[in-house]
Amino acid sequence: MSAVATKKKSEKVPKMEPLYTSNPLADADPETQARVGQLENYIMKNCLWQFNSRGWDRRKQNAGIIGKTAQLLCGEEVENPTPLEKCYWVDSVLLAEAYREACPWITAMDKDAIKGLMTKLHQRMDWLMIDGSLNEELTVQHY
Amino acid sequence: MPYHEFECSKVIPERKQHAVVKGEGEDLTSCLPKGYLNTIPGSISERGCAYCGAKHVIGTPMKDVIHLSHGPVGCTYDTWQTKRYISDNENFQLKYTFATDVKEKHIVFGAEGLLKQNILEAFKAFPEIKRMTIYQTCATALIGDDIAAVCDEVMEELPGTDIFVCNSPGFAGPSQSGGHHKINIAWVNTKVGTVEPEITSDYVINYVGEYNIQGDQEVMQDYFKRMGIQVLSTFTGNGSYDELRGMHRAHLNVLECARSAEYICDELRVRYGIPRLDIDGFGFKALGDSLRKIGLFFGIEERAQAIIDEETVKWKPQLDWYMERLRGKKVCLWPGGSKLWHWANAIQEEMGVKVVSVYTKFGHQGDMEKGIARAGEGTLAIDDPNELENQEALRMLTPDVIFTGKRPGEVAKKMRVPYLNAHAYHNGPYKGFEGWVRFARDIYNAVYSPIYQLSGLDISKDEIATDKGFVTRRMLSDKNLPEAITSDPVMSEYTGKYDSVSELREKTYPVFERKSATAAAE
Repeated sequence: MSAVATKKKSEKVPKMEPLYTSNPLADADPETQARVGQLENYIMKNCLWQFNSRGWDRRKQNAGIIGKTAQLLCGEEVENPTPLEKCYWVDSVLLAEAYREACPWITAMDKDAIKGLMTKLHQRMDWLMIDGSLNEELTVQHY
Repeated sequence: MPYHEFECSKVIPERKQHAVVKGEGEDLTSCLPKGYLNTIPGSISERGCAYCGAKHVIGTPMKDVIHLSHGPVGCTYDTWQTKRYISDNENFQLKYTFATDVKEKHIVFGAEGLLKQNILEAFKAFPEIKRMTIYQTCATALIGDDIAAVCDEVMEELPGTDIFVCNSPGFAGPSQSGGHHKINIAWVNTKVGTVEPEITSDYVINYVGEYNIQGDQEVMQDYFKRMGIQVLSTFTGNGSYDELRGMHRAHLNVLECARSAEYICDELRVRYGIPRLDIDGFGFKALGDSLRKIGLFFGIEERAQAIIDEETVKWKPQLDWYMERLRGKKVCLWPGGSKLWHWANAIQEEMGVKVVSVYTKFGHQGDMEKGIARAGEGTLAIDDPNELENQEALRMLTPDVIFTGKRPGEVAKKMRVPYLNAHAYHNGPYKGFEGWVRFARDIYNAVYSPIYQLSGLDISKDEIATDKGFVTRRMLSDKNLPEAITSDPVMSEYTGKYDSVSELREKTYPVFERKSATAAAE
């Protein structure tokens, strides 16, 4: 055995800028609020990916997984050029399956409507988990 | 903010910000207690120290290592493995605990000489063990002993040995969680990448944040092996020191306890590009989803599905037997850190119980976010509780059972609330499909324990019936159940063995044809 691996240094932590100053769903119509609420509730009860400990990390997780889930729900091909992208994708596959099963109304929506709804979900998750979060550790610079 | 103020803590006003009740329409933007702050003076906390967090929780589950504390013998004794972190090498790490036994004279004159003498003695006493971890304590940190310099000397004198130094004295953080962080970062900084591991599969993982409590790691490892996955290392339960030096060669980090070990996963992701996949080994749905995700990542989902199908057919009817008898039972879910969110939703969905309170001794706000999100409305969430608050909460909530550590657990028993050990388990392992049934069985045994009926009677004043026999659990649990349930031919009590782990060590696994490792990772 020998010491052979070359360690990479930690990358600089991205600066986190807030995207929202209030709940982006506050003015949405009741049906959209109810549907996004259902999608959000499934994530919060069953998933862990949205809880990474830093805000900038949560931003990437939300974008990666909700974005790929929207593609899968629309029947689009998903590209996974890196292992990190592939990791987002596996969570997306399970989330898309769960949505089809628990929210059958989503299968009756057209692609534009699905994309619109998933954009709202993405905004809501960014608010809930990052910009509106009370977690004071999200802006800590190190892990 | 829906803060909850305990009557007993009105004299410590800062405590109010550490407890909330999740109300109707509340979410994480309006309902979250403070967390991971220094314990407020006057509050008798249940927390451990940063040394304990580093050594007891993370360091000492490593199985092929002499774990030596540099400090007073009491520090070592109090972190001797009482948590049932077993291993498949006859539990070397449980049998022995090592300390330099620092006394007052060493504080005055220095303890580096004493440390060197102890290291040499320990290696001599166990010549088959070539690896050692050394833990700094408050006393030796304050006198400035240079542990690393002593270790360098010893490693030069004893070729073939390797020593890891953990500088996490007790005062190095608000709780044991500070020690988790320190040892994570120290390991990735000083040991990862110093050994080149042998790769034997196209699918290679590090299994991180898993401590083999009563065999949890071995149960999960069995699933991974059945899928043809190489577990390169486990951080750290049943884990090997040298395997953990080779973590940088895994294709995927599979993370269980994010509270204690997300740091090393995140650093491995940033430094080596290894993705982090958070999983849940507890609960049929969560575990099934976890195995499927790992299978999907490697393109071997059908192997995961085969395991899920086989295990579900075997164990689900037994889980259902307990769920029918546990419906509506009120639970205080009061573990240390991660189990409040690992269990909160799964026990409600799959065992029918109702979580009325979650707490965490050393968790951060991130853990409370998960716990509050997964618990229902009306749940009382408490950060870093003190003993009086616990008693007040038990009187207020009147739970049927409490899942917590052995210290608050014994207090709960005196208040006639059955307790299950959430840290070390009662009759685990609790991970895996069978393990989840074992957990349900233990909950059932606790909730319906006949002794709790008897313990409510005071022979000095209560009338004691002499014409009635002993009431069994089954008589209590089935009293109001419909016959369709009590005589269901499919559902049954747990049928597994007392020891569900040892036979896994003798098991042989299928050999899968290999592709190239590079292709598998793409």
